[in-house]
Amino acid sequence: MASEFFHRKVERNTIGFVLAIIGVASIGGIVEIAPLFTIHETVEEAPDMRLYTPLELAGRNIYIREGCYACHSQMIRTLRDEVERYGPYSLAVESKYDHPMLWGSKRTGPDLARIGDKYSDAWHVRHLIDPREVVPESIMPKYGWLARTELRTADLGEHLAAQRAVGVPYTPEMIENATADAYAQATPDSAGAGGVTERYGDATQMRVFDGDAARVTEMDALVAYLQILGRLTEAAYGEQPTAATE
Amino acid sequence: MEIAHETLVALSKSWGLFYLVGFSLCVIVYACWPGNRQAFQRAKTSILDEDDTPRGPQA
Amino acid sequence: MVSQLTVSERQFALVILGLLAMCGLAMAAGGRGDPMGAQGFVVLIYAVGFAFVVMAGLYAPEPDDSRLSRYYDDPTKVGIVLTMIWAVIGMGFGVWVASLLAWPNLTFDAAWASFGRLRPVHTSGVIFGFGGNALIATSFHVLQRTSRARLADQFSPWFVLIGYNLFCVVAASGYLLGVTQSKEYAEPEWYADIWLVIVWVVYFLLYIRTLMRRQEPHIYVANWYYMAFILVVAVLHIVNNLAMPVSLSHAKSYSLFSGVQDAMTQWWYGHNAVAFFLTAGFLGMMYYYMPKRAGRPIFSYRLSIISFWGITFLYMWAGSHHLHYTALPHWVQTLGMTFSVMLLVPSWASAGNALATLNGAWHKVRDDATLRFMMVAAVFYGLSTFEGSFMAIRPVNSLSHYTDWTVGHVHAGALGWVAMITFGSIYALVPWMWKRQAMYSPKLVEVHFWLALAGTIVYVFAMWNSGIIQGLMWRTYNDGGTLAYSFIDSLVAMHPYYIARAFGGLLFLAGAIVGSINVWMTIRASRLEAAAGADADLPARPAGAVVAGE
Repeated sequence: MASEFFHRKVERNTIGFVLAIIGVASIGGIVEIAPLFTIHETVEEAPDMRLYTPLELAGRNIYIREGCYACHSQMIRTLRDEVERYGPYSLAVESKYDHPMLWGSKRTGPDLARIGDKYSDAWHVRHLIDPREVVPESIMPKYGWLARTELRTADLGEHLAAQRAVGVPYTPEMIENATADAYAQATPDSAGAGGVTERYGDATQMRVFDGDAARVTEMDALVAYLQILGRLTEAAYGEQPTAATE
Repeated sequence: MEIAHETLVALSKSWGLFYLVGFSLCVIVYACWPGNRQAFQRAKTSILDEDDTPRGPQA
Repeated sequence: MVSQLTVSERQFALVILGLLAMCGLAMAAGGRGDPMGAQGFVVLIYAVGFAFVVMAGLYAPEPDDSRLSRYYDDPTKVGIVLTMIWAVIGMGFGVWVASLLAWPNLTFDAAWASFGRLRPVHTSGVIFGFGGNALIATSFHVLQRTSRARLADQFSPWFVLIGYNLFCVVAASGYLLGVTQSKEYAEPEWYADIWLVIVWVVYFLLYIRTLMRRQEPHIYVANWYYMAFILVVAVLHIVNNLAMPVSLSHAKSYSLFSGVQDAMTQWWYGHNAVAFFLTAGFLGMMYYYMPKRAGRPIFSYRLSIISFWGITFLYMWAGSHHLHYTALPHWVQTLGMTFSVMLLVPSWASAGNALATLNGAWHKVRDDATLRFMMVAAVFYGLSTFEGSFMAIRPVNSLSHYTDWTVGHVHAGALGWVAMITFGSIYALVPWMWKRQAMYSPKLVEVHFWLALAGTIVYVFAMWNSGIIQGLMWRTYNDGGTLAYSFIDSLVAMHPYYIARAFGGLLFLAGAIVGSINVWMTIRASRLEAAAGADADLPARPAGAVVAGE
């Protein structure tokens, strides 16, 4: 009887019906997602994990802006052929500062999780300007305008501050110097270069990425980002359990 | 806390299942409840009515 | 249309449009040097444009009270037209991006014309532009008929429809400028997301207020699906889009979540957008228009209730099957897989229920292309839900994930199920709305049906082939124990399928254009008749039982 009463109420009472739908639908999400917010307790540690420099972050934003994620994944699965093709499988810790993550869902082009340091800067620049000049069969769009467009660096401090607000440990000093650091990383002869390595570590790649020392372009930023992919931490390069073979 | 994650996972796994079974039972009971038969029958056929005007609150 | 609003409603509309224009102006001024500025102009022009429309009718006489004894269908009519416009835009962009994969030099070195920026215009154009407008338009119609009550007020439906389309326009124009959050199917940035929340709250309140006025004791099951669509999409949208804007004058924002949490949240959203946007809402459509058109009640009302709760409950767990073999914890992957397989039960119950409804009316299906659209939609719904459950199994997923197979699966659902049920419903609805006996040309409906079916089949088979070939090539080893194919080998193998896919899409687009012309001609015929003085107010008998060619 209680059951009939209850159902009748749900059915007649529109609000009750609304609550029933929300209740039923939310459970699954809560059960699956809530434990993930305690996952830092079980995930691998990576004490050597470093942050994206302002230039690399700007490059990452260009990667997002151009929709690169629509065709390139950044998530090597625990399958033997993937590990042999792309490198050690991706660990959760490697994207812990990625707001948002760029794991991707489709490989129209190859995975990029470990593309960093695999090709030279000059190769990337040529490839981005005209992919078919380097890989004749490629179907990637040309991104020539990146080399022609000056990078917007004035507001990088605000970007870092927003990143800090969502949990990335950028220091006030990093935020304050963001614009200068972006310029210095792509202009290694300049006075500010020492500050970049001081703040972001000696392993930071300081180069004229696009081959044009006179200015900092979007190409500089994107190539700097591509060259750091898979190199923020060495955590994945140690011993990995054998990958699944299915 | 080391336990929090494990506890949450265990809760998810066990109560998720109980919830699933209990919930399915409720839905089936509701759908098959004899008292609802008439309402369902009416709902099913009344949309085929050809009258295309709203009914006033008094009607 | 404006003359049907009361004078105070018109004034209120002007106030809202004025506020909107101010927002646009503020965005344009504050966001100089940022894509935000251009987005502000889009908002401004949109608001001013509609303000002109309202002002043109501002001094029309008050509508008489007899309107309150009829259903309020003007927003549905405009929604239908918008649905067809977005169909052509969204599918047109689809053919364009498909062609870019076959002929990559078609971008003429322009940033806005590259694949990465055009693709979300296609996906959002189809899902939100075409699908969303279809859902809003039909939900207003179904809600009133099944509740036997007029919409709770006249302003909110317009706010929902026009506000929603502003979201779509801002989103699409933003993509071309490079504004995106990169979360698939949740690309629009924070300001567009906030606007959508406002629109959605009004939509929800309108729905629930009308439901409360209903003159039927029981809420018809189609409304359950529409309600689930509105409610759950709101929850998904808000949670997945939580983000920190760089500043109020920046279009860019950073997601609150990172890494593995972000991945799980995104695919919880992504999968349930499929469930509650592309499935629940359209099932609502099916549960009303199919019985109506066939002139037969649904086969089992009980089954429709059981499958409703099954879908509402099970889908929420399934999102993690998008992340098999990734850094997501193993138990979450397993949970997602298990629930995805279980989902087959309510899905097939729905598809079976639909087909059983038609049992005994097969002669109508044979003669009436509109009903055939709905029948084929139910078949594709059954097929793609089976395929979905199958692909969620880990070992199958290891082959299918990241390949064109996924794309094929999505399109089996989007073309075969979503678009077909929408076109079927629209062909049923248009004659009722414009008080015609039938569509302008039943022949053209027939043409559209075959174009759509052929296009879907070509597309899906092309993608199945390319996806499976791709997946196999990536994992093939030669005798020496090394990988047999380079990535580029697999890419070269795709080329013929990419051409076939573009061709299949072109057929489907052609069908949508034929459909749009047919809808437009039907409306025109209705107008001409009204203009000729013949009172178009035919008896309000729905033409449901009228079968084309009879």
